[in-house]
Amino acid sequence: MKRLILISLVLLTAILLSACSAGTSATTWPGLAADSKLAYLANGTYIYAVRLSDGTKAWQYPDKAGTQLFYANPVLTTNGQVLVGSAGRDYELTSLDTATGQQKWAAPFVATDRWVAAPLVVGDTVYAANNDGTLYVLKLATGEKVWSLHISKELWGAPVTDGNLVFVTSLDHFLYAVDPVAQKVIWKVDLGGSAPDSPAISSDGKTLYIGSFAKKIFAVDIATGSVRWTAVTKDWVWGAPVLGGDSLFAADISGNIYSLGVPNGKNAWPSLQPDGPITGSPLVLADGSMVVATESGSLFAFNTSGVKMWDITPGGKIYTAPVDAGDSTAGLIMVAPMNTDFLLAAVSKDGKLIWKFTGK
Amino acid sequence: MWDQFILNPFTNVLLFIYNIIGRNFGVAIILFTILIRAITWPLNAQQLKGAKVMQELQKDKEWLDIQKKYAKDREKLASEQMRIYKERGINPFASCLPTLIQFPIIIGLYQSITRALAATPLGLLQLAGSIYPTFLNAALLIPLNSKFLWMDLGRPEGIPFPAGFSLPFLPYGFPTLAIIVAATTYLQTKLTLPPSTGGANDQSAAMNSMMSIYMPLLLGYFALNFASGLAVYFVTSNVLGIVQYASMGRVNWRNLLPGGDKTLPAKTGSRK
Repeated sequence: MKRLILISLVLLTAILLSACSAGTSATTWPGLAADSKLAYLANGTYIYAVRLSDGTKAWQYPDKAGTQLFYANPVLTTNGQVLVGSAGRDYELTSLDTATGQQKWAAPFVATDRWVAAPLVVGDTVYAANNDGTLYVLKLATGEKVWSLHISKELWGAPVTDGNLVFVTSLDHFLYAVDPVAQKVIWKVDLGGSAPDSPAISSDGKTLYIGSFAKKIFAVDIATGSVRWTAVTKDWVWGAPVLGGDSLFAADISGNIYSLGVPNGKNAWPSLQPDGPITGSPLVLADGSMVVATESGSLFAFNTSGVKMWDITPGGKIYTAPVDAGDSTAGLIMVAPMNTDFLLAAVSKDGKLIWKFTGK
Repeated sequence: MWDQFILNPFTNVLLFIYNIIGRNFGVAIILFTILIRAITWPLNAQQLKGAKVMQELQKDKEWLDIQKKYAKDREKLASEQMRIYKERGINPFASCLPTLIQFPIIIGLYQSITRALAATPLGLLQLAGSIYPTFLNAALLIPLNSKFLWMDLGRPEGIPFPAGFSLPFLPYGFPTLAIIVAATTYLQTKLTLPPSTGGANDQSAAMNSMMSIYMPLLLGYFALNFASGLAVYFVTSNVLGIVQYASMGRVNWRNLLPGGDKTLPAKTGSRK
């Protein structure tokens, strides 16, 4: 009897300690992308393709959960691939067929850490930033490594490009400009704090905009790497800023929203703080309106003057940026919450809930 | 509630130590574990004292007599036991109450290390919400320097196998730290086990023997699969446990000898 009690106690301790560890390491951070027919959701151990028409599952990858764990946004290519990196212990970057979910390739090289950042596809080349601080450059067709450049510490933001240089942010507080021809960093800018998401690039390709944990948003001259202006925020900026017309939209983790003038970084809107922390980038729609998702599980839409147009609370906790899916007039806004009984919700552009996807 | 009173204060103190010692998270974990052990020292001492009193009572003639005499009358046995407790001024809960109080502290210590490592986006966001802005400048601290000796404290430890060689059940390489965790846990369990009082029905000896097998395996398994920062905590905690017991004269070095944990003559196992 006592032996049984002892074994039960040991097992109980095991479960308790496992639960403690699971608190931070086993929780997901959904990634989301969409084309005109399907939404692609990276959630936990699966990638789901969900039909926009009715919210039903088109396919899932893999069939059975393995060692893969997905945090990064899936990336769609023009030749029908969806690329996604794993944050599980396999460190795998995988290409799937968008139509069937069948694996096309799994990068046949060994990254030494997890993929938190979505990759960037330029022509036939993939630029993939890894948590090991290295930018891996691969062939899109096969996933073979062409070259790699160790930059710094954790790279969590998806790389972006102006067509010449590739820009990478790091938790090490710096924004890096990489010349892919010379295969080296040509300049870097100190952001004063970690930058877990990507920069935005101006339409003329001359300026980068990036927020950081230093409670600042920076405008950086691409040619020289010098800072043109900085705008002070009330808290850490997590999500990438987004350009819309002459404004730069951003939010901080206290839930404050900013509409900064592109030329000077001055906030044009009154103080806006809907209902909870904001970590995902704002979504700018074709009509110029802007949508943000909050940790409280809500979506808020504002017009170009910062006046609230609508709000809806699908539920759960939303950390991922909302995504514009379908055509621009009748399309849907996709949102991927956590800690609730569904994985994905579709909301119309006037703020009505259309469907929810539970993963089944 | 838990976050406000245990986890957040622990996390901030851990990061404060990390900041003042030159941003070495491994050393911060060791110092923080020492600090928590020092704070809980009186509780530990009280627990050991209570356990010793109870252990000695088990060998007492009057105690053994009432066990025999009232073996079939549980109610009478309980009242007789209470009488002995009262007469001798013994609190039967003196050894388990301090353990209960320490339990949330140990859990808090463990969780604060996990939280500070913030290896995932959600972990980083939770860490951001845990740090007192007036106490620490989190923007400057993050990301933590998780390199310590040959380890990345945010990941399971393993020394890579030679190229071309792999073992599927050891995905991170040769698990040096897990072995050290298992070995120190075994040592601590063995050294701190009370001596057996003998007798064919000495169930406590059987339980102790099982503990000395299960606990090293359990903690070794955790060290194998979870962030190595936790394994550093396990090793530090084990070593401090042995030191604390030794300083109180409660270490049974005989237990390390083959057959040393078997029946010992009464009153020879403990030095105190």
